[in-house]
Amino acid sequence: MITLSIFCITAFIDSTQIYNHSYENLIFEGDIDMNTTCFLILDNETIFKGRGFGAPAPTVDELLRDGGRASGEVVFNTGMSGYPEIVTDPSYLGQLVVMTYPHIGNYGVEKKWSESGVGNENSERVAGLEGLIVRSLYCGAVPKGRLSLDNFLNKNNIPGISEIDTRALTLKLRDEGSSNGVIIRSEKEEEGLSEDEKLKVVSFINNFPSMEGRNLVSKTGTMERQEINKTGSPHFTVLDCGIKTSIIRNLVSRGCRVTVVPSATTSEEILMMESDGVLISNGPGDPAALTDIISQIKNILGKIPLTGICLGHQLICLALGAETSKMKFGHHGINHPVYDEKTGRVFITSQNHGFTVKERSLSEGMEVWLKNSNDSSIEGIRHNNLPVLTTQFHPEAAPGPHDSLWIFDEFIKFSRAASHKEEI
Amino acid sequence: MPKREDIKKILILGSGPIVIGQACEFDYSGTQAVKALKGEGYTVILVNPNPATVMTTPGIADKIYTEPLEVNYLEEIIRIEKPDAILPTMGGQTGLNLTMNLYDEGILQKHGVEIIGASIESISVAEDRGCFKEIVKQIGEHSPESKLVKTVSEAKGFIKKTGLPVIIRPSFTLGGKGGSIVQNPDEVETLVEKALFESPVNEVLIEESLIGWKEFEMEVMRDHADNAVVICSIENVDPMGVHTGDSITVAPIQTLSDREYQKMRNASLKVLRAVGIECGGSNIQFAVHPETGKMVIIEMNPRVSRSSALASKATGFPIALCSARLSVGYTLDEITNDITGKTVSSFEPALDYCAVKVPRFEVEKFPTGHTELNTQMKSVGESLAIGRTFNEALNKAIRSCEMGFEGLQELSVDNDQLDKILTTRHPLRIFAIYTILKKEGEKAIEKLYQKTRYDYWFLYNFLEQVKLEKELMGIQDENDAWNYLKGKELLLKAKRFGLSDIYLANISGTDAKTIEEIRLQNNIIPSYHFVDTCAGEFAAQTPYFYSTYGEIDEGGSTGENSIIIAASGPNRIGQGLEFDTCCTLASLSYRQEGVKTIMVNSNPETVSTDFNVSDRLYLEPLTVESLKEIMKKEETKNIVVQLGGQTSLNLAEELKKWGANIIGTSIENINKAEDRHEFSRMIKTLGLKQPLNRMAGSREEAIIKAGEVGFPVLLRPSFVLGGSNMFITYNEEELMKYLERGITLSKESPVLVDQFLEDAFEYDLDAVSDSENVYIAGIMQHIEAAGIHSGDSACVFPPFKSTPQILTKMKDAAVEIARELQIKGFLNIQFAVKDGILYVLEVNPRASRTVPFLSKATGINLVDAVIKVWLGENLEKQGLTKNGVGMGSCKTGWAIKEAVFPFDRFNNIDPVLGPEMKSTGEVIGIGDSFGEAFAKAQLSVGNGLPEKGRVFISVHKKDRETILPIARKLNNLDFSIAATRGTAQYLFDNGIFPEIILKTYEGNPNVIDHMRSGRIDLLINTPLGEFSQKGDHTIRVEAIKRNIPYTTTTTAAWAAVKGIEYLKKKKVTVRVLTENYVSPIT
Repeated sequence: MITLSIFCITAFIDSTQIYNHSYENLIFEGDIDMNTTCFLILDNETIFKGRGFGAPAPTVDELLRDGGRASGEVVFNTGMSGYPEIVTDPSYLGQLVVMTYPHIGNYGVEKKWSESGVGNENSERVAGLEGLIVRSLYCGAVPKGRLSLDNFLNKNNIPGISEIDTRALTLKLRDEGSSNGVIIRSEKEEEGLSEDEKLKVVSFINNFPSMEGRNLVSKTGTMERQEINKTGSPHFTVLDCGIKTSIIRNLVSRGCRVTVVPSATTSEEILMMESDGVLISNGPGDPAALTDIISQIKNILGKIPLTGICLGHQLICLALGAETSKMKFGHHGINHPVYDEKTGRVFITSQNHGFTVKERSLSEGMEVWLKNSNDSSIEGIRHNNLPVLTTQFHPEAAPGPHDSLWIFDEFIKFSRAASHKEEI
Repeated sequence: MPKREDIKKILILGSGPIVIGQACEFDYSGTQAVKALKGEGYTVILVNPNPATVMTTPGIADKIYTEPLEVNYLEEIIRIEKPDAILPTMGGQTGLNLTMNLYDEGILQKHGVEIIGASIESISVAEDRGCFKEIVKQIGEHSPESKLVKTVSEAKGFIKKTGLPVIIRPSFTLGGKGGSIVQNPDEVETLVEKALFESPVNEVLIEESLIGWKEFEMEVMRDHADNAVVICSIENVDPMGVHTGDSITVAPIQTLSDREYQKMRNASLKVLRAVGIECGGSNIQFAVHPETGKMVIIEMNPRVSRSSALASKATGFPIALCSARLSVGYTLDEITNDITGKTVSSFEPALDYCAVKVPRFEVEKFPTGHTELNTQMKSVGESLAIGRTFNEALNKAIRSCEMGFEGLQELSVDNDQLDKILTTRHPLRIFAIYTILKKEGEKAIEKLYQKTRYDYWFLYNFLEQVKLEKELMGIQDENDAWNYLKGKELLLKAKRFGLSDIYLANISGTDAKTIEEIRLQNNIIPSYHFVDTCAGEFAAQTPYFYSTYGEIDEGGSTGENSIIIAASGPNRIGQGLEFDTCCTLASLSYRQEGVKTIMVNSNPETVSTDFNVSDRLYLEPLTVESLKEIMKKEETKNIVVQLGGQTSLNLAEELKKWGANIIGTSIENINKAEDRHEFSRMIKTLGLKQPLNRMAGSREEAIIKAGEVGFPVLLRPSFVLGGSNMFITYNEEELMKYLERGITLSKESPVLVDQFLEDAFEYDLDAVSDSENVYIAGIMQHIEAAGIHSGDSACVFPPFKSTPQILTKMKDAAVEIARELQIKGFLNIQFAVKDGILYVLEVNPRASRTVPFLSKATGINLVDAVIKVWLGENLEKQGLTKNGVGMGSCKTGWAIKEAVFPFDRFNNIDPVLGPEMKSTGEVIGIGDSFGEAFAKAQLSVGNGLPEKGRVFISVHKKDRETILPIARKLNNLDFSIAATRGTAQYLFDNGIFPEIILKTYEGNPNVIDHMRSGRIDLLINTPLGEFSQKGDHTIRVEAIKRNIPYTTTTTAAWAAVKGIEYLKKKKVTVRVLTENYVSPIT
């Protein structure tokens, strides 16, 4: 296996410096053809007409021919900032994301804001959401050095649709639960879709796999082992199920040595690395469908300190014998209050998950560490006799409040303590 | 943690009278706090001398004091009430400063009163600019380069280092009072001196200029368990250099990336923690350099503020309510979010719309004071609008301001003026930008950015509207409009931009009716969304709505039995808090009677826009179009227009034509009172008198008519509010000058020429009528001279120098007028009495400014009486009248209303009072004696009477006899008397020995010099005639600048003497307002 040691520590320090905003030369990126009529279709009754942007959405014929493009589970995100991070977050694979905040694209996109994987273009498959759904796309100039959102999505082959009644869509998803949908480009500007086309699309959607049972991890994450900050300590092995860059940034900025391994890495390989701890990353899809990964995790339980974020948290819980279930519409946003069962402290977190660990299913020894203040769902787990510490939310934020960055310190402290104990 | 059980009784301070920078937002927050704490089982004592407020309505707090917000009065209240705690954060800067004073003087400690909601340490740190900068530095953030100075030379030293421009901010003042921007070297001395004078501690902060930087605000909350959240982020459209109260703002922040936003959020929470705000809301202001991205923290307010009221309405999150609960021990996660009913308050609201605030300026009333905005707030009110997009919200907000703009539109001024407006931070700057964008298109953007530093994002959004407008201008005629608008879906697009039917008519060359027809034929009607704090993630329990177009409609309707209350829109001079209080109380009364209410208002500072005042709330412009649509949505045609001042009353006629059911007095009768001809006819029929009056449609005619009436004459345009553009002239020359002041004269809009009753006594009468029975709530006598607007004149209830005969005449006249006009609801009449003859000056068939004042003084909730009339319970049944007539009486002994003025905000503005209203707010003074009431009223407006010193007297010949006993009295009260030559001679002849002081034109040292050297403590000056209107200008300016009490009538002088007598007794008496009050509110 090739080990790539390509990043120096400074590349990962999340500098809080604000970036240079010069508008000296107004650059107009791309050609926004806001005249492309597009449709967002959820079912027979739910068809929204809008304007296409980003990469062209497929026509009905293209959709049926190629399958899968611009289609997926429609979920809404309530964050008012952070669309660049959202459109690059691999956890959105298989999903069409509705932004509830109406103005999107206001400040453009900067390449270094990307949350896709380790951050090396050569070594990973960049994958994220299937399409972006907005109410109003900003088409004016953006600061120098940035791309317009339209242009960025176009370059990354992600279709978008604007002028959508995102409020109506959100209320539908809230009341009826997330459902599958597609974005379709219409070539006949005025008439819209014919009944026949509509039927075809709806039947396509009906046959489209449900998010429940979908294994999407195999489509994302690094293919090769990558090592960052080789001289750092402690040493984390990170199982990449579709990791967000900021998770690695946060470990590295705290001095950690990080070895990112593909999600298909076996338990033996992981244990052989003799790192101080393992972190199972976030990622897309249904955790319960990832039976291979779950059984590998089972094999390392108790043998090495284990931490997990989002999907990683769910996988660890599954490995411990708990169950997960699909939520009605999930948590996607940056304003979710989470409280610590012991201290009572509340902090605002960034969340992005459609599945949750069922509290009733927790096996012996599993202890709820953190809970959601709104719906009391499980937000973090520890274990009475195994070295396990997880969070359902995203402590790395990006986008979102930095209130829970301390979780990384906890992870480090925990791994150090746990691995030390073992040696004794 | 549960609420505290160790405290039982809590004292809350209000913010006193409405002034620029401290308006009804503190009634909103204070009322919320009172309700929250009472709801938790605490006994709440309230002190606020502002009678116009909802919070001082008996029944709201357990005990209400309207005493002056002065240390000695507060101490007396504390001594009597023995509260366990004081909540200082609800009364603005006034409440905070007063609490600091009470603490500094050891009064709180002595009586064992704990400060809750904020600690002395945190208030001092946040308020003291030097300390605050130190904190900012400690947490690793930046402040602007600055220096605290106590002298002009220190200031010069700093400027030598940094260069100009610099910003000057006096310590411990509100609304940036006394602050300014220094651009050139010769301004340094005067501006620094002024600022030093304004600061109560004679300390000024000189700061590097951040003009042109992007400006942001964060509304944050923290509880004592250290949970902290950002409730709302706000971006100023106007960059740094304009006071945030004068800026157009939008929530949430639009132009920051998540990284930048989180950096600002982190800094906000760090500041909150470092300053030690433990239980409540705060506001933190930031500036970001548009190119380098450098972020600096400008200031924080450790209390609820105008911005927090705005943030509450913009997000649905009730900041003051939560702050009050936090102050008694709860944590954020223990407080349910009332909007969702499910989630907790320890979250950060997510918006799925834009909320835009537009300030309202009194450009006409204070013209020269407005050419340039700066760090001192000058706007008197604001409107907030919500839309799905920035443009939609902005257009609605501009329209809501009622400043004559339908939305973002072109100005018709020449290029030079345009450029001047652009470069001087003029209140109309945004319109100038739009004008240039429309003329020059996209290529102007760079130039506009350089000149105004409006962010590109805003400029490009304006450009979108320009493009839309260009499409709309393609329409040729009415027939064409149909095809054009329909065929291209253009109309829907335009409505989604927030453009009104009138706006579209104006630019497309049709009329509003045509646009409306096309709109309705195509079923283009607004849809309404909930303001739900969570972007739709949870179902809203509280029906708080805004409109948009072409989207899902939420919330259904209340049905035909519900009642819409049209409120009064943005505060302005002449129409403010009083009307909001009437609307709020009306809603409460209706609901008490089981009737569902729907409130419509655009003013975010108000209690009426609190989501639990009505069954449903619409934050919408108060226009005919929007009200019609709300009526359709709610499936009701009942609407109350009498309570929102002229704004709502002006809607009545068109709404009625459309089919609305106007509750109360009929439109025909409203018109009878408002139309001059009909009014004159009625007065004649009833055998009453009014001043001679004429109408003139041209200049020539005006001169002729003035001659007929006889000088002096009172001039004004028809249909006025707060006396806009009113003027008294004494001769032809002045008359011409008035007509040249940009008054458009035509047959359709004539000028009214009235006889001016000089030296008359003026009265205000408020009554409630059911068309048969009439209850005269009270007659108030003006203390100031005739010709001063009733809103500006101090007045006394009951009248104190009037014969019973003349009062009976007024009462009889009111009863006759009420019956003649079939008044159902409120009636306000202004009378004048000259030489024993009664004149009717004006009849207003609506609630007047004095309704809340009288309600409190008489102990009768007049709004409630009116609602009962409207619901069919006549006044006889209510027990207010006997045999058709009833009369209120003053339950507080004497009650005085005194006005406060904003003159100190505007340089070079003649602080002259006249028929045009200029005051921003008012106070009440109550007492057993006239003197007590008057002295308290003066104290409460911050113009306390002297207890010793020198009084300057200069009176007109005819007043000499009246002034003699006053002078004697003052002499006996140990005042030394100074007088101008003529007056002095008369006094001397009558045994008083005054010092002679020169008039201003008689040389030096004159009265001004004596004032400047602090030798004069009270002024009595009653010149008559022309001279009083324009002369003595300098004396008045000086008096205002130095806060020297100034009386213009012998009546007022007599009142001052009585007040001084009370003060000299050195006995602080405080009185509870709540006893003997009839109120349905519990």
